[in-house]
Amino acid sequence: MCIMRQGHKEELMEFSEHIKTANVEDVVLHQPLHPPSRGTLCITGHHLLFSDREENSTRQILLLLRNIDAIEKSVENLLGYSSLFSKADYSKRISGSSGTITVKCKDLRVLQLDIPGMEQCLNIAHSIETLSCLNDVSEMYPFFYRPSDLSSQDQWGLSSSEKYYSEHKELHKRWRLSSVNRDYSVCPSYPPAVIVPKDIDDDTLKKVAKFRQSGRFPVLCYYHRKNGMVIMRGGQPLTGANRKRCREDELLLQAVIDSSDKGYIIDTRSSQQVQQARMTGGGFESKSSYSCWKRLHRQMEKGKALQESLIKLVEACGDESQNMDRWLSKLENSKWLSHVQTALSTAGLLAECVERDGHSVLVHGSEGTDCTLLVSTLAQLIMDPCCRTLEGFLALLEREWVQAGHPFQLRCAHSAYSHVRLQQESPVFLLLLDCVWQLWRQFPLALGFSEALLLRLATEAYFSNYGTFLCNNDQERCALGVKEKTYCLFHSLLKPTEKEHYTNPLYEPTDLAIWPSVHPQSLQLWRGFFLRWTPQTRHLEEAQEEIRNMVIEWGKVALS
Amino acid sequence: GLTCAHVVSMCFADKDLIYMCPFNAAVKGKVLITNYRLYFKSSDADVAVTLDVPLGAISRIEKMGGASSRGENSYGLDITCKDMRNLRFALKQEGHSRRDIFELLFRHAFPISHGLPLFAYVTQEKYEESGWDVYKPVEEFRRQGLPNNKWRISFINKGYELCDTYPTVLAVPYKSKEEDLRRVAAFRSRGRIPVLSWIHRENQAVIVRCSQPLVGMSGKRNKDDERYLDLIREANETTKLTIYDARPNVNAVANKATGGGYEGDEYQNAELIFLDIQNIHVMRESLKKLKDIVYPNVEESHWLSSLESTHWLEHVKLVLSGAIQVADKVSSGNSVVVHCSDGWDRTAQLTSLAMLMLDSHYRTLRGFEGLIEKEWISFGHKFASRIGHGDKNHADQDRSPIFVQFIDCVWQMTKQFPTAFEFNERLLLTILDHLYSCRFGTFLYNCESARDQHEVRSKTVSLWALVNSKTDIYLNPFYTPESGRVLYPVASMRHLELWVTYYIRWNPRIRQQQQSPVEQRYKELLALRDEYLKKLEELQLSDSTPSTRLANSSTPNTSSSNSSTPSQQYTHLQTPF
Repeated sequence: MCIMRQGHKEELMEFSEHIKTANVEDVVLHQPLHPPSRGTLCITGHHLLFSDREENSTRQILLLLRNIDAIEKSVENLLGYSSLFSKADYSKRISGSSGTITVKCKDLRVLQLDIPGMEQCLNIAHSIETLSCLNDVSEMYPFFYRPSDLSSQDQWGLSSSEKYYSEHKELHKRWRLSSVNRDYSVCPSYPPAVIVPKDIDDDTLKKVAKFRQSGRFPVLCYYHRKNGMVIMRGGQPLTGANRKRCREDELLLQAVIDSSDKGYIIDTRSSQQVQQARMTGGGFESKSSYSCWKRLHRQMEKGKALQESLIKLVEACGDESQNMDRWLSKLENSKWLSHVQTALSTAGLLAECVERDGHSVLVHGSEGTDCTLLVSTLAQLIMDPCCRTLEGFLALLEREWVQAGHPFQLRCAHSAYSHVRLQQESPVFLLLLDCVWQLWRQFPLALGFSEALLLRLATEAYFSNYGTFLCNNDQERCALGVKEKTYCLFHSLLKPTEKEHYTNPLYEPTDLAIWPSVHPQSLQLWRGFFLRWTPQTRHLEEAQEEIRNMVIEWGKVALS
Repeated sequence: GLTCAHVVSMCFADKDLIYMCPFNAAVKGKVLITNYRLYFKSSDADVAVTLDVPLGAISRIEKMGGASSRGENSYGLDITCKDMRNLRFALKQEGHSRRDIFELLFRHAFPISHGLPLFAYVTQEKYEESGWDVYKPVEEFRRQGLPNNKWRISFINKGYELCDTYPTVLAVPYKSKEEDLRRVAAFRSRGRIPVLSWIHRENQAVIVRCSQPLVGMSGKRNKDDERYLDLIREANETTKLTIYDARPNVNAVANKATGGGYEGDEYQNAELIFLDIQNIHVMRESLKKLKDIVYPNVEESHWLSSLESTHWLEHVKLVLSGAIQVADKVSSGNSVVVHCSDGWDRTAQLTSLAMLMLDSHYRTLRGFEGLIEKEWISFGHKFASRIGHGDKNHADQDRSPIFVQFIDCVWQMTKQFPTAFEFNERLLLTILDHLYSCRFGTFLYNCESARDQHEVRSKTVSLWALVNSKTDIYLNPFYTPESGRVLYPVASMRHLELWVTYYIRWNPRIRQQQQSPVEQRYKELLALRDEYLKKLEELQLSDSTPSTRLANSSTPNTSSSNSSTPSQQYTHLQTPF
């Protein structure tokens, strides 16, 4: 009965050990925005498939198991109940019993499955629990996904350091493309090619890498065409308690700016935090060793604090109780919007240094794989109109997040509902998308892409048919052959059939910087994401869609 | 800006003073005061600060500092405005410069207190359309399908004898006789008898509005009133009439002490539901608290909890959810009666919002103008008392932002339904600006009888004359008429937003970025839409059978007489602003 696409056969075999019950009839599905429906539930290696068996409509719901963040099952009371019955009654009772599985998804949807038969219910629950958190990346669905409309010959990805370098000829005088990391030995989380000052040779880079956390030596990530200033990013310098220096590191930074000029270092930690970091081997660029660089500290939360903030926010959003008079306090207590504010204002500061003050900036925190990327991405959106087109934005994400080594696998293993002990989960990428949404809301004409794109990306990072957000860095992707064995999300989003949906119909490019207002009064909850499964948000989505179609239609007819 | 052709007299010009701008440093400049506005322009070209405040927006003028004041810029004027801002000017102590400005401002900001005419009576503005015709009661009833065999039009209040705060034309149950109406009037606060505001075309359920019954401590009954309400129920043959009392239950009970009250069990076939909306005093204090956290400085560290503690959004939520209940009841075929105490504040909010949800006509530009004229102006929302036009008594307990709150609710609806309203946010802002400005007669006086007495229609210009003379800036390019659609906004705190572009619009740092390119783009889109409609018409003419695409297209229905297309409304007129 399962109408599965090609490739699913092997898949079923492979994961059969985890699937004791593959099919259950007569399951009732409760999902937001729809009336409950009765049908057949089917579990495969990667999917939960529900087929509605109403006459003349075969509605199917295909849910990627990876989307499931947590499940709750309630069959316990039935067990307690059953002890009241004699042995003979017992089995009858069991067969007549049922259970309920509440499925909480990473896209914040909450489903409920009423399953007849306690055993079946437990089997299904077990399968979901196991299969939704398989750790082996090569077993994940992107390796099995075979879309008919994409060819595996398609190029993988949109952008890279090489491409960026070749597109910016102005860079060539003072900057070079280095392949010092071609075998990922200098910095495991960097791509093979990086852009560095021309005067700095590969040996120097290797020494600098030893002085920077995780080998993340400062590399160029943005060139500001208007004034030739750049944004660099890296990991923290490993000065340690003894205030170690590294001549090569100082040389590299000196090479970024002319000797007469100065630069800014934006550290995403407070000055207190960087002092503490020295005790564990980290540190900061001291004034005495880096006299031309001025450090600015902006404390940004990441890691567990950010994850907890998301959990609180989602909890508040899901609170169905009628007593909502404390909603605004709950929203405030979650601190999510203050994280949005900090991220946007730090990015604003970075953009101000580059665009208004006309200085180059090095940005880093400790590892340089989270807040650093958040700030540099947002600053580029603020300053650079090329990043604001649909293609430009996706390319930016590819360079600044995928290739720059944001550990998606670790950060997006679980979301707000998960009961498992959190390890390295942190919604930094989601925070980025939220910040971009705030920009989009404040500048309704300036961005070439739609809210729908941000919503799509917010889920794709957590579970996907595509390989784009798999693994933690380029090296891991290379080892697993992600580029050969999976499909690229960005290319699929740019297919002519999809693209229209992800473009902003009101888009009007501007060369001006878009300076966001970061006052709490100017920031809003991203309802499209956090309240996505409410009828009101659905209505608004439909209205947006309607507006898009309208504008396209007017353009077609009026200009014909 | 400055050269306003219609200002009759330039009263005072070119006075140097310092504007104590709360967002920048003190700004030196010149102030110009006319009988309409206070205009300030910085003299330093680098700090481009201008202020343009209609004197009508001023609620209070105070002198600060005395002749012996020492501190820098401590001597001057402190002006409190009705539109969420305060202004401070510092002056030199020598001479009588402050006294002159103060007296001038005081006189022209509060003309009523000085026996002077309001500016609307002085201005000579002319528009092609007078604007007074956007609402004609009999035509509006006809549009609703009235009179019919259940409802008749009564002119009993022609000379305002039955009720001096009601309009002259009323729709009442067909079976009620004029003497019944008189007896009911005696039992309703200020004679505001239950009359029809709106009827559902298909199910004939009605929205009826009135004031509270005069039950009093002794629990008086009035058989005529009971029978009259039962006639309303009977009119569409339902078993139960729902009475929505906008007040909280306790307030309704407390009103008995002053002779008021609510409908008790003696009203058979009726159910009474309290909607828990607070009174004008609570709303005034709530907005005052909101102002405290947004002007001049915005609360930064605990913004959301501070906003919560003003309760403003909660009040908005209760008004909206009350209106939703009314609309839902009516669309399911049950007639409703809505009242509060006098039936001119909360009642107006509830009936007009419910009508906006039920009837797409009111969601057009002209329909909305008519709705305000009908439910607010003609039914005696006490604009003069609530706003205090031209009156120096800033602490008057009768003042309250009930109408602002209504416009806020409308704004919330436009946010939730971006394609359902023909007008845009700019219209709402314009309405609120002229609620205070006294430039138009539209919002002057408390009721129709007072308006007649002061010849408002013949001696002043209507706000709608201004609006209808340049509709393109007030239109929503994405408007999609859907005549049958009932809009139910979500009245949950999660989906309500503070109207930042109104309440915090004076703060340059909060102001929405790049507003003008957005407006420009919307203007272009309107033009594109017009072009599209023109092409469509040509196609329709060349092809006698309209294609399915045309039928399904989400564009305004050009044939409808009610929804005028933008091209019909373009009447370019020279206006002074």
